[in-house]
Amino acid sequence: MNQVIFQCEDSTEGIFTGVYDAWASRLGHGNVKLEAGTGHEMELFSEYRSVETDREKAEKVAGTVRKSMGSGCWESIYQATLAEGEEKAEAVYRSIVLGISMARRKNGSVHRLMENIQEPCIFQIMTLSRAVAREAHRYLGFIRFQEMKGKLLYSEIAPSGQILPLIGDHFTNRYPGERFLIYDIRHKMSLLHQPGEPWYLFTGEEPNTAVLEKSENEKDCEKLWKNFVETIAIPERTNPDLQKQLLPLKFRKYMTEWS
Amino acid sequence: MKITEQMTIGEKLRILTDAAKYDVACTSSGNKRSGDGSGMGNCVESGICHSFAADGRCISLLKILFTNECVFDCHYCINRCSNDVPRAAFTPDEVCRLTMEFYRRNYIEGLFLSSGVFKSPAFTMELLYQTLYRLRTVYHFQGYIHVKAIPGAPEELIEKTGFLADRMSINLELPTADALRRLAPHKSRRTILTPMRQIQTRRNHNQEELALYKSAPQFVPAGQSTQMIIGASGESDYEIVSVAESLYRRFELKRVFYSAFVRVNEDSLLPALPGGPPLLREHRLYQADWLLRYYGFEAKELLSEKHPNFNVFLDPKCDWALSHMENFPVEINQAPYETLLRVPGIGVKSAQRIVKARRFSSLGFEDLKKIGVVLKRAVYFITCRGKTQYPLKMDEDFILRNLLHQQDQGLAQVGTYRQLSLFDDSSFSDSREVIAMLRS
Repeated sequence: MNQVIFQCEDSTEGIFTGVYDAWASRLGHGNVKLEAGTGHEMELFSEYRSVETDREKAEKVAGTVRKSMGSGCWESIYQATLAEGEEKAEAVYRSIVLGISMARRKNGSVHRLMENIQEPCIFQIMTLSRAVAREAHRYLGFIRFQEMKGKLLYSEIAPSGQILPLIGDHFTNRYPGERFLIYDIRHKMSLLHQPGEPWYLFTGEEPNTAVLEKSENEKDCEKLWKNFVETIAIPERTNPDLQKQLLPLKFRKYMTEWS
Repeated sequence: MKITEQMTIGEKLRILTDAAKYDVACTSSGNKRSGDGSGMGNCVESGICHSFAADGRCISLLKILFTNECVFDCHYCINRCSNDVPRAAFTPDEVCRLTMEFYRRNYIEGLFLSSGVFKSPAFTMELLYQTLYRLRTVYHFQGYIHVKAIPGAPEELIEKTGFLADRMSINLELPTADALRRLAPHKSRRTILTPMRQIQTRRNHNQEELALYKSAPQFVPAGQSTQMIIGASGESDYEIVSVAESLYRRFELKRVFYSAFVRVNEDSLLPALPGGPPLLREHRLYQADWLLRYYGFEAKELLSEKHPNFNVFLDPKCDWALSHMENFPVEINQAPYETLLRVPGIGVKSAQRIVKARRFSSLGFEDLKKIGVVLKRAVYFITCRGKTQYPLKMDEDFILRNLLHQQDQGLAQVGTYRQLSLFDDSSFSDSREVIAMLRS
């Protein structure tokens, strides 16, 4: 029998719907494969099925993962779905299959699933989720807000993973009284927070930046900050290689002190 | 010496940042506090780096002096009273506004406030306290604050300030009391260690209060740290590491920072440093510091009276392992966690992962690579399922030669023998010389 490839949308919901459909197809785990997003090379002898993203199916899968494998595994798998990587959907599918089979065994220690990195799919999940978590942590520091007229704080970033859902809580907790918008250029996602409300995520919409204008205070503040960053370095210790290693150039494009 | 009244905030910031840059600690770690919904700010346990300066050091906090006006005359310090440098002073309100504006734009994680000694230690400490009080209560700032305690300031002031800050530090300045007497005539071991002890005692007391009442005010929740200058007075690495060890043990410090001496003043008491600041030495000290704090090493294991300085070519852990070959090789699938930690190339994270992963099945060298073990160092000290990765000679010279060889070639040199060459093989003779140097 030919292999059947399920093509799903590159989002958490899309991948989980794919997992649901692939499982429900009853083709056997060995005969199916998952692909998220476009850009994969077509295979000649495989049959393709495209997956319609379905919130309900995705939530069923998410619920099952959380219930049968525990919150630790859920977190790793969830983070892996946000990562940048061609094989991620397949790795998510395989690790869910493995996790559920472990959970069904009476003495299975499924909560330790993610420690079993000798399994290739688990190793992949761990690598992906760690990469996303690391990137999200970096952006906690590297995001720069600009104050626009009307007291809106605006920030643009271009991360490789879809990190916005991972940083929303942090910034909401940090700036409870601020109105801020973080826009992810690469994934066309934006995170909006209004004072006293939880944060919201919008996908596929581009904010209308033409109407945004920097506030009067903003320029002075940027100048002070650049002035500080320049002065704080010790000339006798100058080490651009180390600086580049810790703060790669790709981040600097969107940071006040380098623009 | 005159403080200009009409200085703009930009000029002040430049002068007082420039004066603060030699302070090392810029970490924002050690305390977790979530915002309470009013005001602004929170703290993250691991700390967050917001930028990196041209010298590769992390910028996490707005690191400034309150004033660089100083009555002390420490020989190594740019702000000593006998130096003719532009002087400036912030007002508490200016510091607060700067902090808030920077914090709002996510430039910084909080404030690092130090100061020159203006008029007297008590007067300066009072100013620092006023600033922090304003920042916490008027501006409702809930982010990270690291504040310096001024040696010689009254106890009540230090205590009051400690309830507003996350971390406090008093600089040890120099590793020995004798050097301190020579280079910092206005400071003494006593005026430095007394407030350090006070903060420690108060913190321990606070832990008990917090155990009783969860919402009791917290005193210096992220602990205290200190820093010392390396290479300004003639101490050996052994003395420095021993001092650091006793600070960790007897004063329960969270961190000891080492700052390679930068010669900013022309002074006959200071060493000339033609090769620039001793950065490699500083690096080795930090490596040893990690071994003390996280790897269960003791200062006397790493160095001794006879062997008082770190190896220039090898990191302290490799160096220790090479002189204790009787403990190796270690079997990855059986060795206890503490033993794994002592293997060069295995860190805290990879040791933890090994212990967890080997419950599922025995580990081979491929698995170790996945776990994140640095095999090019570890390979000489471990076995997997009873075998080394290559046939190796368990011999100090052989391993040393290979470890050093890798540094310039990046490839494991496995063979025990070498082809004789008519022309002298440069790397071979180099490592021979190195070994001879190390032996002497």
